[in-house]
This record gives sequence, structure tokens and C-alpha cells, in this order.
Amino acid sequence: MLKCKINDKEIEVPEGTKLIEAFKLADQDIAHYCYHSALSVAGCCRLCMVDIEGNPRPQIACNTMVSEGMSATNQSDSIKETVKWGLDFHLINHPLDCPVCDQAGECELQNQYMKFGSGYDSEMAEKKVKKNKVVDLGKEVVLDSERCVLCSRCVRFTSEITRTNELGIFNRGDRSEVGTFKGKPLNNNYSVNTVDICPVGALTSKDFRFNQRVWYLKNKKSICTGCSTGCNVKAYFNEDGYFRFKPVVNQEINGYWMCDEGRKVYKSTNKENRLMGYELQYGDACSKEEAFKVAQDLISSAVTTALVVTGQQSNEEYESIISYFKETLNSEQIYHWHTTPGKEDEFDGLLMRGDKNPNTKGLQKILSEKGLGKDVSELSSVDTLVVVGPENMTHVKDLKAQLEKFIQSQNVIWLGSALVEELKEMAHVKLQMPLRTYLEKTGTFTNHAGQDQKVTVVKTVNKQALALTDWVQLMQNQEVQQDQGVKFPKVKTNFFMDDRGTV
Amino acid sequence: MSLVKKQSDDLWYMPAILSGMRFTFKTMLKNLFTRPDPKDKLAHRTYNYPEEKYEYSPRFKGNHILTVKKDGSLRCTACMLCATYCPASCIKIIASESDDKAVEKFPISYEINILRCVFCGFCEEACPVDAIRMGPEWQTPGLAAENFDYDIKKLAYRAQLEGGIPSRVDDVERHEAGI
Repeated sequence: MLKCKINDKEIEVPEGTKLIEAFKLADQDIAHYCYHSALSVAGCCRLCMVDIEGNPRPQIACNTMVSEGMSATNQSDSIKETVKWGLDFHLINHPLDCPVCDQAGECELQNQYMKFGSGYDSEMAEKKVKKNKVVDLGKEVVLDSERCVLCSRCVRFTSEITRTNELGIFNRGDRSEVGTFKGKPLNNNYSVNTVDICPVGALTSKDFRFNQRVWYLKNKKSICTGCSTGCNVKAYFNEDGYFRFKPVVNQEINGYWMCDEGRKVYKSTNKENRLMGYELQYGDACSKEEAFKVAQDLISSAVTTALVVTGQQSNEEYESIISYFKETLNSEQIYHWHTTPGKEDEFDGLLMRGDKNPNTKGLQKILSEKGLGKDVSELSSVDTLVVVGPENMTHVKDLKAQLEKFIQSQNVIWLGSALVEELKEMAHVKLQMPLRTYLEKTGTFTNHAGQDQKVTVVKTVNKQALALTDWVQLMQNQEVQQDQGVKFPKVKTNFFMDDRGTV
Repeated sequence: MSLVKKQSDDLWYMPAILSGMRFTFKTMLKNLFTRPDPKDKLAHRTYNYPEEKYEYSPRFKGNHILTVKKDGSLRCTACMLCATYCPASCIKIIASESDDKAVEKFPISYEINILRCVFCGFCEEACPVDAIRMGPEWQTPGLAAENFDYDIKKLAYRAQLEGGIPSRVDDVERHEAGI
């Protein structure tokens, strides 16, 4: 460990720490665009200037290693001036696009401008170098070269993390532009990470583009259930539903990144892809009380019952529904529906895994503890079949074949959060009951490596829906209490006004 | 507790009251016995509402106007600053991507619920591109609730605006200046 002094605050850092990391460890603000903890040092934005004791000139903190007894500060007047006019160089060719720019509200240029902004021409009315706007880089990302500050984070990302090398910086001087090579679009499965690390609005995500202004969104930590890796994410939402996922740093699971496929998981939790109410045969709507009466009748009148579960529910839910079937209904027929069979070991080398169920490990563990668990291919026809459907339908390729097998049973009760249009036409499907998605319940998910991750309620989209634990309790006529997550006021008040901060 | 001294002996307020009453009676008599001057609209007179209507100055904060560009399309860039700033939360905008790369973002729907609006003028103040203004119109009659949800057609192209009010600063001018 090395002792050093950061802004007169004494801290100890491990050997080989960069000075900019020491500033972050000491909770000191330091301006920077090009430095990113997961990427190599470029040292091109020149904003992380610091004064090091015994050194006559200011130096960049990202390309300096901490040494024993080093004393550095970025609070001196000369450093403040340096950063201020360094920022002026970044702004000199930057267009005043904030009204139409998606990054506005989470933009580093805006943040720095608010800190050092006095002294510049606020209308930015100087003549600028014109570059390409709205350049289509690939299937997920749009580039605006004028807004780019040439920090090269995205270029380093494609060369160091994905090693696909799609992006490069072309031309020289103030005509430099980020771009792709001819005929080689940015189409790798991690491309939206470049949007996340872009400190300005040069790279924007096509999926999120112009959907919402970022200050209308709240966020809460959760996980991604797109595959069995279980990346940590922040879910961004408002009262209309979910809008995007962004990765959260967790060195043990996903590091800094997440894949593009995982970013689309939020779509399966929104209203348009959800089963919103209780439905009887052929999609006739009914109330919750009616539905439970029908379900209790179907189960109590049946001689044989069976349960089909996928690896997309939480451990607590498996525990309760499997013990309900085993102990209360005395049924040993519990089947595991593996939606992506034979792909458990597939791995793309970075994050994405072939097993698209987030909790296969958890389900297998509980089933083997209870000595149960057959594959869904062994399912034969029973009187009443309860199917817990998959939450995210996008990767379920064998849905039709499985449904045909399920409706060989006399009565099918379908529990699921996703909307499945085919079920409405099937006479044997007597009841559909809406379930909560993982963003609407509290529970534990076990990822491919056996790491348990707890999720909490973020925001409830479908108030009628139930967690499986609630379903089991209601089937036994017990009362349940439900957590609704972040509540939005009934009368729409402009609560964004209150925490806008001050200028 | 403080006591306020009663100033009953002091009659200095009388001249001010008398001069005020003089003005009131002068106007009343003038309105009763003279005909209105059609050239001078601001002359003191009684209006026969609703056949005759008083016209407010252009600076009056009445019904909203969405300004248009020289080609007649909306100036609004759907930045949502007005909707964010609006204390009554009465502005609802849906943004979309434009085919024109110079425009990039534009509103496909812009609605103001005029019954919720408090006519504070913050939207006008927040707008970075002079796309929304408050005009001199102030009457908002309507029989059904939907008459009070003003859409783009009403806000920018209603008959009174005669094809739309042009905005002051245009993007074309900015682009030509190289800004």
C-alpha cells in the first residue's frame, strides 16, 4: 500500500493505482472524458489535470501512477483555469444541440459546463466545423460526429473489449471523425455499451432514441434475466413502464458491460407484451375471485395433477409452488421445461450464455433436493395441468410444439406474465392467470455459477398480477400482502420539478 | 402587542379620493353622452360584449401559439423543456425522428390541456427556439371536454393565425451562418 495525499486528504491505495483512481477513492471530483476504468489510458481529453507537489507543470492524473508520499491537488486556481479552458476547446466545435440530443440531462459536457461555465460565450455562436449528422453505424447505434469530443472511448471499447475493431478515428485535426470501415457496420452484440460510455451525445441508442427525456425517468438496481449470467443493471422507468437497462459495475458477475440482447429484456415487462388480467376459456375476461374459484375447482376435482415450470422464476417461488404440489396435492409430477435445451454450455466469451433462463440452477437445485424433476418431454396427459409459462418469450422457439403437448391434458391452467395469443384459441386452456415479472417481485435468482442475487420490487406495471408465492397462498384461501414498489401519485404532479437541483 | 394609532384628525387622504372620483365621473359622463371613436380603440367607452370585443395587446399572455418555420412546418423540436417546466403539467408531447437530418427530432403530437393551464408563461420562457408563445386570444369556450385539449392543428394552424406565425430564429439561418 502506498500513502498519498489527495486534495489534502490522506489515503492509502494499492500499488499500481492510477492517480485518477486515487481521486475517485478519496471521493474527490475530477473532470475527465477519455478515461474509463475498464479501458486503456488514452490521455487525450486533457481535463484530469492536477498539480503534483514538486512538479512545476500541471499533469494528467489518468496517465500518472501514484508513488509513495505523493501529494496532488486539483483545487488550485491554476488547475481550475486549466480545466476551464480545456473544456472551452471541447466546446468550440460542439453544436448547441441539447434540445434534440438524447444525452441532455446525463451529459458530461453539460455537467462540466455548469461547473466551469462562466466566461464562455453562452450562445456558442462561433463558426463551427461541420461534420456528418445522424450517421447509421449499425443496427443499434446512431452517430452524430459534430457532438463527438473525440475521447476515443468507443474505439478502445471495440478494440479491447469486443476485439471486433469496427470503429476508428478518421482524418486529422479538427476534421477528425469517429466512423466505421466501409461495409463493416457496428453490429456486434455489445454495441450499445459504446453509447453508455460516450460522455456526450455523439452515440445514441436506436432503441431509446427520442422515447423519453432522461430526467423523466427514475432508476433502481436490479438484474438482467436475458440469460443465466445475471448481469447487474439499472432499470429506468416512469409511470408508463420501463424504458431501458444500463449495466451496473459488478466485478464478480458482469464487470462493466452487458449485451444488446439483454437490454431488450425490459420490453417483456411492459404492458403491451403482458397478460394483464384473468382470462377464462377463449380469452373471456373474469375477476380475480372468479378465477381462483375456477382454479380451485379444477384442481380439487382432478385425480391427477401435474406442474410444468421454467427456469425463469425466483427460488422462493419454486420452493412454495413445488411444496404445494408435493405436500398439499400429493403430486410427484413436476416437470422442468427447459426453453433452450442443449445450450447450457454455450458462451460467447464475454458475457452472454446459451441458457436463456436466469434461474435454471436454482430450479434444478430445489428439484434435486426434493428428489423430483423430470424433463418436460416425459409429460403425459393428466386431468389438470398447471403451466408456469416463461416470462420472456423472445427466445422460446419450441412454444407451439410444447403447447400442443400441454393441451393433451383435459384442463390447463396457464400462469404467466407474457401475452401468448395462441392460448386464446385452445379449448383445453381453461384459465390464464397473470404473474408478476421479476421486476415486480422480491426473490432470489441463482446464476450459472451458483451465485445468488436478490431482486426487489422496482415498479409494478400490472397490479392484478401475482407472484407464485401469492398464488399458492390464495389457492389455500390465505391472505396476501403485495409490495407495489415505487408508487406514482394518482393525481399527476410534477415531481421532477422538486428534485431538479439548483443552477 | 402593538397598537395602531387612529388618525381620525388627519384628512390628507381626501384630495386623492376626490381626484379619483373626478376621473370616474368624467369617464361615466363621457360614455353616457358621446359616441365611441372607431379610430381610437383604447378610448374610454363601454363595450357591447359579445358583439364588440376588446382586443388585448400582443404581449398579453393568452392562448398558446406554436410558431412555424418559413416552409410552414412546426418550429418545435420536441425537447420537452416546456413540459418539464410547466407547473400545471398540462403539456403532453410525443417526439419522433424526422427523415430530414437537419431537423432530426420533431413532435408528432403536441397537446395542451387548456383547462389545466394556469397561463403563467413558463413554457414561453423555457423554450430554447421560440417555438411556443402566448398570444392575445383569451376566450376558450367549448361544450365538450375534448375541446379543451388543444392539438397541433389548433395551436399552430387555427384560422385566426392565418397560416401560422413565423418564429424569430430559424435553424436554416443558423446552419447557413455555420453555427
